[in-house]
Amino acid sequence: MTKHVIYCIFAVCVSMGLLLLMIGMADSVPNAGGQPHAEHPGMVIGADGAARLAHIGSLAFMFNSLLLTLVVGLCVLGVSERYRSRKFLAGMGGSWLFMLMIWWMMFSTHQEFLLTGETDYFMGFPVPTAWQMYGTWLGAIPLIVMYSYGFRTFIYTREDEAEFDALLEQAARNSQQN
Amino acid sequence: MEAYRQEIIVGSVVIYMLFCVATGLWAMRRTRDSSDFFVAGRGLGPIVIALALFSSTLSGFGFVGGPGLVYSIGVSSFWMVVISSTGYAVGFFLVAKRIRMIAELRDCLSLPDVVAARYGSDAVRFLIALTIVLGVMGYLATQILAMAVVMQAILSGTETFANVGLVSCVVISSAVLIFYCVTGGIIASVYTDVVQGFIMMSAGSLILMTAVSVFDGGMQEATAIILADDSEAIMPFGSAGVMASLGWFFVFGLGLAGQPHLITKMMMNKKMSDNRSILPMSLFGYVMAALLWISIGIVMRAAVIDGIVEPLALPDDAASTFLSIFANPLLAGVVFAGLFAAIMSTSDAFLNIGTAAIIHDIPTALRGRSVENELLWARVVTVLLAIVAAGFALYSHYADATLVALLGAFGWGTFAASIFPVVAVGLNWRGATVAGAVTAISAALLINFVVQLSSIVPPYGISGPLVAFVTSMILFIGVSLITKQPELAPDIEDVLRI
Repeated sequence: MTKHVIYCIFAVCVSMGLLLLMIGMADSVPNAGGQPHAEHPGMVIGADGAARLAHIGSLAFMFNSLLLTLVVGLCVLGVSERYRSRKFLAGMGGSWLFMLMIWWMMFSTHQEFLLTGETDYFMGFPVPTAWQMYGTWLGAIPLIVMYSYGFRTFIYTREDEAEFDALLEQAARNSQQN
Repeated sequence: MEAYRQEIIVGSVVIYMLFCVATGLWAMRRTRDSSDFFVAGRGLGPIVIALALFSSTLSGFGFVGGPGLVYSIGVSSFWMVVISSTGYAVGFFLVAKRIRMIAELRDCLSLPDVVAARYGSDAVRFLIALTIVLGVMGYLATQILAMAVVMQAILSGTETFANVGLVSCVVISSAVLIFYCVTGGIIASVYTDVVQGFIMMSAGSLILMTAVSVFDGGMQEATAIILADDSEAIMPFGSAGVMASLGWFFVFGLGLAGQPHLITKMMMNKKMSDNRSILPMSLFGYVMAALLWISIGIVMRAAVIDGIVEPLALPDDAASTFLSIFANPLLAGVVFAGLFAAIMSTSDAFLNIGTAAIIHDIPTALRGRSVENELLWARVVTVLLAIVAAGFALYSHYADATLVALLGAFGWGTFAASIFPVVAVGLNWRGATVAGAVTAISAALLINFVVQLSSIVPPYGISGPLVAFVTSMILFIGVSLITKQPELAPDIEDVLRI
């Protein structure tokens, strides 16, 4: 099934390209990239967050969802086909869902704030920002755990090591003959 | 102690620079050939690699430009930092194993060597080497200028050295950098990176503690002040908006695996199995050091809005103003040494890969072999490269910033767009073709150049590097799919299968 993961990666990249095009062609909003602070030179303000997301909010949400899919797809591509077991794919699927969940929480709590103007705080930051700050950082930890703890199972097994050592010996023999 | 603040800061920086010189002398005895000079004989341990990896990732930009960006555009710039876990994960999954295998199997000295072995193409080797040289010039010039500007700012606070000019500062800082890079090559570079890494981690964690104590209510009070002033600045996408933020996520996150000065270090570890510990250690180091970026920026924005601190003349003054107002002199000394460490650790990595591209990769691509006596030429070109970059830096400062700005466009984003598909994807997909690689690299260079030259500003904060990266990924895979599948060398076929 994962033999054709490159096609999925390609499809995701093309979709992201199309989304960029749609965002680029969407109705523009003045100062969508920020505007100078009225009192403090050098500072930029975002002003009306709801207006800035009005035409592109859902497109941007899809763009990042695809980006997270691309991240996981690339990690799958980085593992030899023979080690893409059900256990490995389940881990990757779980990591993907975990990252999507964090992204959804960040996006939806921000939307909620734009509607109500109220927010709680978590460890020093407004809740939507805490999802971004701590959540995004933690979002890829399952991938790192899979790499480190699964190193000898998925990444570079003892058999791989033996095979590579044999390759090196062969290369050494070849260079001696030449 | 407060009376000796400036002396303590100058003393810390001088001690740090003396350490760099001593490391260069020590490493010189261990550098016997070009393999030692460029890839440390592939004999480095996991802690050395981990610290070298993260300290090269976080350049002087992280210590000066980073807090300045948070001050200026709020949380938008967090996206450059919080993606580190994703970036390192993707980099290790895609690159760490196979680049190390090909490097050992084919005795590669540089990234273009690895690429040439993978694709069996000198055209791809040449394009990657060219991208590296262009990028290195821009990066090095800006790093050297930053180092000189900071040095001048520090010295201007003392009585004895108050009148030392910028040119002298460029000469002094470049001389130290050149000395340890020339004498000890990559061995000196990575061992200074180790100490540089420790200094940066200490600076990051100590600054966080200081920043939290500025307001009685801690970080929450600071963020509440910003929220009351402009809520978007402290919301997840910051003042620059959602697409600017997500663009940074893409370019800085995935792009990490396309940075030649970082992935070259993945060729240097002694044992492949060390990668399992290098990944979490690098990430931990980066997170600790990056605390400085976030905490100073937030606190300074809140402090200015609240009227505790006068508005800054420039956003980039955020870190130095914070240190002069809130930090203990000893901590300020550590952070300034950390700043030099951050700049030098990135600069030495660029000097090394730039030199390799000039004396090894481009000659090999053009005439089939490298120069004679590589070690000697490596040392000569390292000096010349640093001098030319220092010249660019001064020219940019005094005469015309366009040239360096243009070369600066060949920075992180261009490396990401040009190198990521060809290396990170190409090392894991045997269907990748020379035509795909050449098209992707050319398109990435072209788009970045055009966007920079024409000053095009895409809507909603979409950046040129983002467009270039997405385009190069599509072209790399698309063109590879429609062109003839390559015949790979048997050993490369085996490496791609393992």
